[in-house]
Amino acid sequence: MILSSMRNVVFGYGETPVLSGISVDIHQGEFVGITGPNGAAKTTLLKLLLGLLKPWSGSVHIHTETLKGERLSIGYVPQNVAAFNSGFPSRVLELVRSGCYSRLGLFKRFTAEQHRIVEQSLKQVGMWEYRHRKVGELSGGQKQRICIARALAGQPNVLVLDEPTAGMDQQGRMGFYQLMRHYAASHGMTVIMVTHELHESGQYLDRIISLEQRESEGWQCLSTSSCSVRFGPEPCLE
Amino acid sequence: MFEYEFMQRAFWAGALLGIIAPILGVYLMLRRQALMADTLSHVSLAGVALGSLLGMNPVITGIAAAVLGGILVDGLRRAYRSYSEMSVAIIMTSGLALAIVLMSLRPHLSKSFSSYLFGSIVAVNDAGLWLIGGVTAAGLIYLFVLRRPLYNMTFDEETAQISGLKVKGLSFSFAVLTGMTVAAAMPIVGVLLVSSLMVLPASLALRVARGFAMALLIAVIAGWLGIFSGLTISYYVNVPPGGTISLMLLALLLSAMLVQKLRRRRSRSRRQILLMGQGSRTPDFREGV
Repeated sequence: MILSSMRNVVFGYGETPVLSGISVDIHQGEFVGITGPNGAAKTTLLKLLLGLLKPWSGSVHIHTETLKGERLSIGYVPQNVAAFNSGFPSRVLELVRSGCYSRLGLFKRFTAEQHRIVEQSLKQVGMWEYRHRKVGELSGGQKQRICIARALAGQPNVLVLDEPTAGMDQQGRMGFYQLMRHYAASHGMTVIMVTHELHESGQYLDRIISLEQRESEGWQCLSTSSCSVRFGPEPCLE
Repeated sequence: MFEYEFMQRAFWAGALLGIIAPILGVYLMLRRQALMADTLSHVSLAGVALGSLLGMNPVITGIAAAVLGGILVDGLRRAYRSYSEMSVAIIMTSGLALAIVLMSLRPHLSKSFSSYLFGSIVAVNDAGLWLIGGVTAAGLIYLFVLRRPLYNMTFDEETAQISGLKVKGLSFSFAVLTGMTVAAAMPIVGVLLVSSLMVLPASLALRVARGFAMALLIAVIAGWLGIFSGLTISYYVNVPPGGTISLMLLALLLSAMLVQKLRRRRSRSRRQILLMGQGSRTPDFREGV
């Protein structure tokens, strides 16, 4: 099933187009990496895929329902989200629990299952021991991990990550790619990730979308390539 | 002092504003809109001036102007996404300029505006008290019902929007509530210092609180302490309540900062003594995962 499809999309800031002639499909349950040099409009492409930006021309279609007929839920971890909210007055557990709010609505209480999912999300990113710490007391990499745990706690059908491994060490990055591979393979979650570290993440991805520059036409040519996929036991970053 | 009805009203008004204003302040500070209240009070003054000029109820026109100002700030914030503070500057200067021009058209009205500028205990009449009560009740219901969406929007608007939250509508309604609270608080604290009721208790709370609910509670307690002590001093020393309340809130904030600094220094020196006691043994260092 195609979750999001773009056809001949052109988009830019001001007068200059930064993306032109983009056509791409994202399928359910695949782990896709978007890559390209700095300034290649990778985040812009993500925002177009999510419907946060409107293209100048071309079309973006996003399926708003899952195969079961439920409303599609999307988890998003923007670039450096943790850095912008370093003074946020919350403990780690409180912040990660807020990931469930979109499913709970205004008044529904947390169920035992949701408590379990929050705990599991924190354990998977190796932050369970820090659950009572204030968010502002954590390092950049740790904040990034709790933002990922928060997105996972919301049990999204689609998880969109913009350079999620910034601030993580190599061991943490490898554990993270394995974790995302696990969610895509075992839970059918679609994972779209902007990354620079293809040499590390490539072996876990289903597909790579590379942005390349064409003379005076902005970033375009999405060369997409399939990857070999490695399966393994349920991983965690600990 | 409580034998006077105006003092009873002032304390009631202070108690109600001491709940809603600091809570809104916490959200405003976290959304980087600390100057929102200042802006809306200036716009509200223009509304009061317009109401007086047209022979309408200035309280109603003041509220209408503040609500409109809130909506405009929110809209401009989206238009100037990279320089969102620009929206505050544009609306604040426009509001003040309009107020000055409107006041100059009826010079005899200018005198009565001093109570709006600096606040007055006697300015709170029964109707004003009911208004403050209504705004506080509506605000608390709003903040309770929408506490989860507001939390998510305050943490990160983009993430909240993608998760399906109607951020634009929520932000718009929040701006309306802020405008109503600012306009209701203006008579007692004054245009120039109305934001202190929101910003100073929130600043204190954000420094010391370890959780979101705790931040809201500390902000309310700090707000009450500042308002009640400020009103008492204002009565006995015969000085404007707005300035006195603001100074008391500032004193609370500075005291909290001082206590925090002393506690940090103490725990640091205790840690040093512990390390010295361990002699040459290298302390365990656990890297943050």
